[in-house]
Amino acid sequence: MSALVTVFFPLVFSLVLYLATQKTQYARYIVLVIFLGLFAESIELYTQLPKEGYLLLGSFFEVSRFDFSLVFAVDTLSVIMLLLTSILLILVTLSSWHIPKQAAYFSLLLFFSGAIFGVFMSTNLLWFFIFWELTLIPMYFLVGIWGAEGRVYAAVKFFLYTHVASMLILLAFFLLYKQSGTFDMTLIKESVLVTPAFIWWLLFVGFAVKMPLFPFHTWLPDAHVQAPAPVSVLLAGVLLKMGAYAMIRMVLLMLPHQSQKYGWVLLVLGVVSLVYAALMALYETHLKKMVAYSSISHMGLVAIAMATLSYDGLSAALYEMIGHAFIIAPLFLIAGFFHQKTGSWQMEDMGGIMQRAPYISTVFIIAGLGALGFPATMGFVGEVSVLISSIESYGLWLIVVAFVSMLSASYIIWTFRRVLYGSMSSVVRSSDFSISKMEFFALIVFSLFIIVFGIYPQVIFSLINDALSGYTFLGGRV
Amino acid sequence: MSPFTLLFVMALFSFAIHRLVLLKSLSIIVLAISLVLVYLGYATPLAGFATSEAISFFEAVVLLVVGAFILSEDDVITITQTLFIAAASFLLLESTTLISFILSFEVMSILSFVLVSNITSIKEAEGAIKMFIAGSIATAVLFFGVTLYLWSTQSLDTPLIVNVDSFGILGIWFMLGALFYKMTIVPMHTWSADSYAQVRPLYAALLSGVVKTVVFVATFKFFSPFILATDVFSTPIFIVLAVITMSLGNILALFQKNVTRILAYSSIAHAGYMLLGFVAVRSSYASVGVLYMAVAYIFMQSAVFILIDKLSRGVGDIKLEDLHGLVKKDKWSALFLSVQLFSLAGIPLLAGFLAKAVMVYAVVDAGYIIVALITLLNSALSVAYYAWIIKHIYFEENASDYTLEKLSFSSSATQVILLLGTLYFGVFASVVFSLTL
Repeated sequence: MSALVTVFFPLVFSLVLYLATQKTQYARYIVLVIFLGLFAESIELYTQLPKEGYLLLGSFFEVSRFDFSLVFAVDTLSVIMLLLTSILLILVTLSSWHIPKQAAYFSLLLFFSGAIFGVFMSTNLLWFFIFWELTLIPMYFLVGIWGAEGRVYAAVKFFLYTHVASMLILLAFFLLYKQSGTFDMTLIKESVLVTPAFIWWLLFVGFAVKMPLFPFHTWLPDAHVQAPAPVSVLLAGVLLKMGAYAMIRMVLLMLPHQSQKYGWVLLVLGVVSLVYAALMALYETHLKKMVAYSSISHMGLVAIAMATLSYDGLSAALYEMIGHAFIIAPLFLIAGFFHQKTGSWQMEDMGGIMQRAPYISTVFIIAGLGALGFPATMGFVGEVSVLISSIESYGLWLIVVAFVSMLSASYIIWTFRRVLYGSMSSVVRSSDFSISKMEFFALIVFSLFIIVFGIYPQVIFSLINDALSGYTFLGGRV
Repeated sequence: MSPFTLLFVMALFSFAIHRLVLLKSLSIIVLAISLVLVYLGYATPLAGFATSEAISFFEAVVLLVVGAFILSEDDVITITQTLFIAAASFLLLESTTLISFILSFEVMSILSFVLVSNITSIKEAEGAIKMFIAGSIATAVLFFGVTLYLWSTQSLDTPLIVNVDSFGILGIWFMLGALFYKMTIVPMHTWSADSYAQVRPLYAALLSGVVKTVVFVATFKFFSPFILATDVFSTPIFIVLAVITMSLGNILALFQKNVTRILAYSSIAHAGYMLLGFVAVRSSYASVGVLYMAVAYIFMQSAVFILIDKLSRGVGDIKLEDLHGLVKKDKWSALFLSVQLFSLAGIPLLAGFLAKAVMVYAVVDAGYIIVALITLLNSALSVAYYAWIIKHIYFEENASDYTLEKLSFSSSATQVILLLGTLYFGVFASVVFSLTL
């Protein structure tokens, strides 16, 4: 029952919250408390997890003749995602402490939290899809109402693009149900499927859009750039992770033989995303777009690690997913902050910000060093483990990953040069770089995460080991 | 006493009542009693009419929607007509023999002509006349089909005979062709976009929400044995019709600037989705799909058209730009409108999603994966125009000069009832799944 409350209470209560706090500023406190509660709930779920397999939390809404029952069950993999999501939700709430139209904004955030918890907690594919689609609604409004100049175009494009991809996923789920007789993802066996290859492709393309991988990424630069900074954090930290989570769970673990057969597609698209997005980031003069492309580039790393289909590779992928969330979040937040203060997105209009806002610039540098894979940050651990596992599986040519790391180093360091150092522009001289305590606190927490888990990654790896221990891996090479 | 008799007597009696409040409350009471009678399983006490659990359930939904209609309607004549339509729906849904089916269908057609003949402007006249002409052609075609069928079988007072010779088959297809007019299947749809968009939106709500779904359910119930028996031959036809209908409806809706016109084309697209039930007739989920689609559609489509009617005070001519800033002027209508539009678009936790999902699963179950894919992509395409309407409601800063009417208390009650229907059937599917048409 408590699982049902965890998911549906935020969905239902969001409307109540909006109506009750319309004229006041209380919504943020209530939402913060609820998100802390969600975090506590995730920790409690973690403590209750069995050694292997799923912790069943209940089954609701049963229907005769159709497997429509909403089954909530979590394993370590889902709990990792829940923990990551709830931490990000709390920090996002703090960093949007002074956003305009508070009641509506925080109600939508609350609605989003219910939907995203549903995604990670339900093991019924149809309900997974329902929550998956439901996350689009609050995102559509968050981008469309609070976004920058091109917000309407970005919101509609994001909604349509990802919705089309979802339709492929739904068709794949229906085929799975038709051929295996169940929507329960824990029971579906690849061996009973009649057309596993077709299903694999539908699912792969559907999730590749969300991740996003190279030819399907075009919605991301628009949505991430136009969204307000905290929402970009959610998009990069939660929505992309949702795609990667689904790719691991429904493609790699549910259809291992097909994944082994077509793993090279994932590998190739991963490498192309990695290189292409890094080059785009190098070329970009728009600060937030640079961060968005750097985000795509890192998801390319995740895809490469996944494509190894080995134990090491998947742990690297999961670590990189978490690392990416903590690294990209402060970059987005600070990019948004600089834009808010200087009124420009262009890097050449900035310059010399280090002198005006030293603390924030330091956080920016820490996160930037994480993004380029500097030792003692999460980025380093992630990149090295991806590099090692992929070379183990596919051979030495994947040293290309290390070369791209040099590309990231160039665009990040060049960004430091253009934004933080250099001669101070008149815009920077005349603007006021004060930041609220809450926003600053969120930034500090992010940079602590980057450093602490970079020096001491064992905490995360032990979680990941629990998550992957129950599965057998086939390895990438046929 | 059967619910039909009660409704019919009430409809006749309502001519004598001229006081709105009295008529409204009396109608609501009668509808409530009918609901109980439907629940108890009473059928129309005439030869050729029978009810089943699924039909009773759908009748209850129709009663609920009609009740919500009457709750916020301030025109005595329209209430009377709505009651007549409710009574005729019962006849059509319960008919089991050919003669009872075609007679009830004709009663329904004539009632809808009478409904739209309440004309106040040249625009409404155009819509009404188009509908009348198309309807007359449909009647002619229907009776031609009946003649051929009768020649072949010499039997009117039995359910549709499945094993007929080629004249009989031709006759049945002519009958279906005539029914396609009312169901707005391409290429018999041409009247509907203009009629739905140009008559008073409240009438469009009745026509496209109630009448169309009732005709659909009744047609599926009556003709599905025949379609199942000849599925090798008939399924390709239905596939082509369904795909063309939904694609054309969605594509044309994309180009409209007028909200009612968008909804009219979306109504055509939904006819395409519902026709998938005929495509997937081999699957045991087809009848659930049709029933679910009908239930979901009757709630969301009626709600949207009624809301447009109230906002524009019955004129219905609302352009997309007129909705700018609706959220600031009246956040409740903005909420009602956007939830129902999301439901039409097939967004989860709303009835529209489950209806589409069940229907598409029926198609997958019957083995037509490409058709399922086309349907899903169509549904994704339709999000473009629904999200576009919502964009105009929420994302435009400057409010339009167009004065939209605020929702009265009774209109809000209507919308709440319809909204609850959309939400309920979006989560609780067990009621519908336990039924077979």
